[in-house]
Amino acid sequence: MEIKITTRHILIALAVVAWIIFVGVCIEAGGFITNTIYTMVFNAEGARNFWQGNDLSQLYNFDRVYFLVETSIMSIVAIMRAIIFYLIIKMLQENKLNMAQPFNKDLVRLILNIAYLALGIGLFSSWGAKHAAWFVQQGIKMPDIEHLRLGGADVWLFMGVTLIVIAQIFKRGIEIQTENELTV
Amino acid sequence: MPIIVNLDVMMARRKMSLNELSDKVGLTLSNLSILKTGKAKAIRFSTLEAICEVLNCQPADILEFKKED
Repeated sequence: MEIKITTRHILIALAVVAWIIFVGVCIEAGGFITNTIYTMVFNAEGARNFWQGNDLSQLYNFDRVYFLVETSIMSIVAIMRAIIFYLIIKMLQENKLNMAQPFNKDLVRLILNIAYLALGIGLFSSWGAKHAAWFVQQGIKMPDIEHLRLGGADVWLFMGVTLIVIAQIFKRGIEIQTENELTV
Repeated sequence: MPIIVNLDVMMARRKMSLNELSDKVGLTLSNLSILKTGKAKAIRFSTLEAICEVLNCQPADILEFKKED
């Protein structure tokens, strides 16, 4: 028997993958926020084993505000990533992706929202990575930016700009579609 | 839009209903309604030809240009 992979099957698989990533990113964001609060409020030793073994104790001892800023940037980036996957899941679950008429305003709004979030992630990641580099210059031992989940800022920025361009093309597509529908 | 569709005026002159025109022109009622209410973005020459044929008029009787202020 031949198995036919249709667009519907691909979308279901993508929804499952998006759910898995969403849960993972939510756990990560929650971990960053909880560890930051725990370290700042309850126990300074939390900085030694911040998240997945990252040692931020030297940064914490250098300056608590810098520690708070760096971990807040990490948290914001993680939250923004979670929101991107939430939007994708929402679109796939609510069946807003109408394959008969793929050019619709909902999809343009989704692409634009993801684009702005990607730009935000790119900017925050870049900011966080520059901070981390500056800390290293001050002689503070810092984990790699990949371990801090702040890597690939340029990729996020590139993705954001690309998605904005795609959204504009979609917008024009909708205009053409509307004109065609209103041609008698 | 500066282009005004006077289809309703011509239909009233010829005492023709929208249903009757729809049947004779071969255009759906919804499309004819879009044209009549001025929502249409464009009209095909073939549609215009069919309407002119049925209503026995010129395109200028149906379409009018009025400059917007």
